[in-house]
Amino acid sequence: MDLKINDQFYSSQAEPSDMLLWVIRDELGLTGTKFGCGAGICGACTIHVDGVAMRSCVTPAAAAEGKAITTVEGLATTQDDSERLHPVQEAFIEAQVPQCAWCMNGQMMTALAFLQANPKPSDDEITAAMGNNYCRCGCYVRIKVAVARAAELMEQANG
Amino acid sequence: MAKENPAKEQAAKDKRRWRVSRRGFLIGLGVVGGGLALGWRFGLPAARLGIANGLEEGGAPGGAEVSPDLWFEVNPDNTVSLYLMKVEMGQGVHTALAQLAAEELELPFENLQVIPASTARGIEDGFGTGGSTTISSLFTPLREGAATLRLMLQAKAAEKWSVEPDNLVAMNGSFFKQANPEETMTYAEAAQGVSDWEIPKDKPELKGIREFAVIGQPMQRVDFTEKLTGRAVYGYDARVDGMLYGAVARPPRFTATLKQASEGTARAVKGVVDVVIEDDFAGVVATSRGAAYRGLEALELDWDLGETYQQADIDALTQVRPGEGVVVQKEGRVAAKLKSATSIRAEYHSPMAAHAHLEPQAALVEVRSDRVIAQVSTQSPQLVRDEIAEALKRKKEDVEVTATYLGGGFGRRLNVEVAVEAARLSQAIGKPVHIGWNRSEEFRHGYVRPPTHSVLEAALDETGKIQAIRHELASGDVAFPFLPAFLSTIFGADFGAWRGGRFHYEGIENREVLSQRVKLPLKTGWWRGLGLLANTFAIESFMDELAHASGQDALEFRLRHLSASDHNQRLKRVLESAAEAAAWGTTLAEGRAHGIACSTDTKTVCAQVAEVSIEESKVRVHKITTAIDPGLIVNPDGVKAQTQGAIVFGLSSTFFEKLTIQDSQFAPQNFDTYPLITMKETPEIEVILRQSGEEPFGMGEPPLGPVAAAVANAVFALTGQRLRSLPLTLS
Repeated sequence: MDLKINDQFYSSQAEPSDMLLWVIRDELGLTGTKFGCGAGICGACTIHVDGVAMRSCVTPAAAAEGKAITTVEGLATTQDDSERLHPVQEAFIEAQVPQCAWCMNGQMMTALAFLQANPKPSDDEITAAMGNNYCRCGCYVRIKVAVARAAELMEQANG
Repeated sequence: MAKENPAKEQAAKDKRRWRVSRRGFLIGLGVVGGGLALGWRFGLPAARLGIANGLEEGGAPGGAEVSPDLWFEVNPDNTVSLYLMKVEMGQGVHTALAQLAAEELELPFENLQVIPASTARGIEDGFGTGGSTTISSLFTPLREGAATLRLMLQAKAAEKWSVEPDNLVAMNGSFFKQANPEETMTYAEAAQGVSDWEIPKDKPELKGIREFAVIGQPMQRVDFTEKLTGRAVYGYDARVDGMLYGAVARPPRFTATLKQASEGTARAVKGVVDVVIEDDFAGVVATSRGAAYRGLEALELDWDLGETYQQADIDALTQVRPGEGVVVQKEGRVAAKLKSATSIRAEYHSPMAAHAHLEPQAALVEVRSDRVIAQVSTQSPQLVRDEIAEALKRKKEDVEVTATYLGGGFGRRLNVEVAVEAARLSQAIGKPVHIGWNRSEEFRHGYVRPPTHSVLEAALDETGKIQAIRHELASGDVAFPFLPAFLSTIFGADFGAWRGGRFHYEGIENREVLSQRVKLPLKTGWWRGLGLLANTFAIESFMDELAHASGQDALEFRLRHLSASDHNQRLKRVLESAAEAAAWGTTLAEGRAHGIACSTDTKTVCAQVAEVSIEESKVRVHKITTAIDPGLIVNPDGVKAQTQGAIVFGLSSTFFEKLTIQDSQFAPQNFDTYPLITMKETPEIEVILRQSGEEPFGMGEPPLGPVAAAVANAVFALTGQRLRSLPLTLS
């Protein structure tokens, strides 16, 4: 099947029932999307399918056929030969959020989908939206700060 | 500046040879462009090193192999690479180590790259990365090496300019003449074309702490751009052309052994490439992970199930047997004092727990005819090298292990199983094999935090001061399973089990701690902080009980048992700082209460005040106010991050984590039955940094100590309920 990931088309040998996570990581080599639990609980594998945050470890490839997949590799853009980080990435660096960072793909992809739907969230709304993504290093205090900051940066970017 | 794909970077430098020189330093030969590579070995004076390698001091390599423990390379773009075998698992050591080196190199921080070295160079770092020791152990040697490198470059710059080295000043990666600051020479230019490097005869003078410009600054982490763009390579991400995926048969119980295995219909499973059955080992190699696991299910495996154990058996074994422990602290005469007074006694329990690092263990191993190449998520690349060499009957020198970034360590990756598994499969089929465990394998087939039981007893005098106190602790093994048996005999008690279990209140005249080994039918071992969390929970809850029993304020009670020693005064400062910031002793909002606790670990002292309430019959933590003194602070923001993270990690154990067994198997297979803390339960955390002395102590584990006790003590203050078992559950 053909999959559209970060605006590029990939031809995959995957069965329609194969989970997207393994197709993206192992077959197509985009390893920025991480495996944590395989049961849709921890959130490390979060990607966007047509802008909606999905747990790719429990999403079959067939569900993304003909749709636009975004992974963490698709967040930054290139301008004048240099990399421009996405406001969410910038906010996570500004707040010095990660430790081991294995969960951070999922945190950022979850945050981005949430902020696109709710550009000016309250603290409680951030907690509710981010409350289903595990971070074993315990970076929650900083994740919260960064998501609020990302909202500001995204608003500025959208001018 | 983060270097991407260090493994490739390094392969190019593998051919380097080293010349032994004075002061234990090694000069790298054959550096591209005539640059400089300077390495050194710890604890081996140059003379001994020379003899060991059949060389004269300063002599040329006589065919003998010699390699540094860590080394610098001055690159043509005026960056400096620091190669060493300390892994980045989230604790930020690559950033803090870069600060130490940049400080004495007089190099812009962003021009210093830390690159994980592989074992191929014969680096000896058997300790691995753990125990909160990376920064404290390298603080002086790394700065000395950096200063030596700068002086060597300075000597060559002076030669090129035909001036005395003393007339030059090093700044921002360049030298300039004091007399003429306009003219500069970069380090790379100074190194250009030089081959007759000399090690300065004397140890360099290091900067005093007031001269630090990089150390002590909140530098940004060097690994974040890679990590947040998805480019960073962890063990689970390692790839090589032609690699296949492996999976290994797991026993249905931790007591089970493989009696017999046959291929069954595994080879007929789509995607299965090969089946490997050797002795007590059965694995499948396939073109995808899914196919490998489906292949496993098609094997015919006959297990001897072994004994059946239930959780009640583990609980029954985890009991203090009075008087049977090994003494690990003894001050004064405890027994006599306790006998002659009315004593107070209490018991505490902590359960088994999982490490639950979010990246399950993973390795990519390629067994070739000439050598074995492995990329592994490990805290101990050298140990992995030795284990692969032994399993494959290969020479250690032929096994090259590189530690990737780690998706969490927490002690679980000091000893990984996956690398040998991948090596066995790769050896059998002659192709590179990647194995990444799934979450069920993580929960069921590794080692876990041991269960503990603590019995505390104390006698107070008529003024409410502690006359004598005793802590008897029983714990499953922590360090012993990984040490040679003779060391267990020498140590007597498992230092991992009693970590944090001694009394640090030097104002108590009579103190005694006994540690007992609990032999369990399952594997226990290293876990973040080792016994620190469980032992601090017991001791600091008990201190609180004593204070309340004698009508004393919990903070004042602690303070009155401190001595005038430097350590106890540091402890006093953090207790007072945390208490003051939390407004200890003032009236809180209705339905809220404070609890306080403190701990010492790797000489780092930490105090925490928890503010709690009860909501819908559950404990809610609103705020943790903490003060921490880790000696000298290298990166304040890193210290803050470790403190915040360790508190959250500790709260997860305080409220959620309990690993149980059923029918000789760990009960949970995933996070649905073993939930971790989330943002929803995470309180506000205020961190106050206190600094002291001229050397750094540990940071990765120490702030984990007090949190469970601080919360339990607050719950008592609020409800009168004394919770003596983790995780805390209101009755």
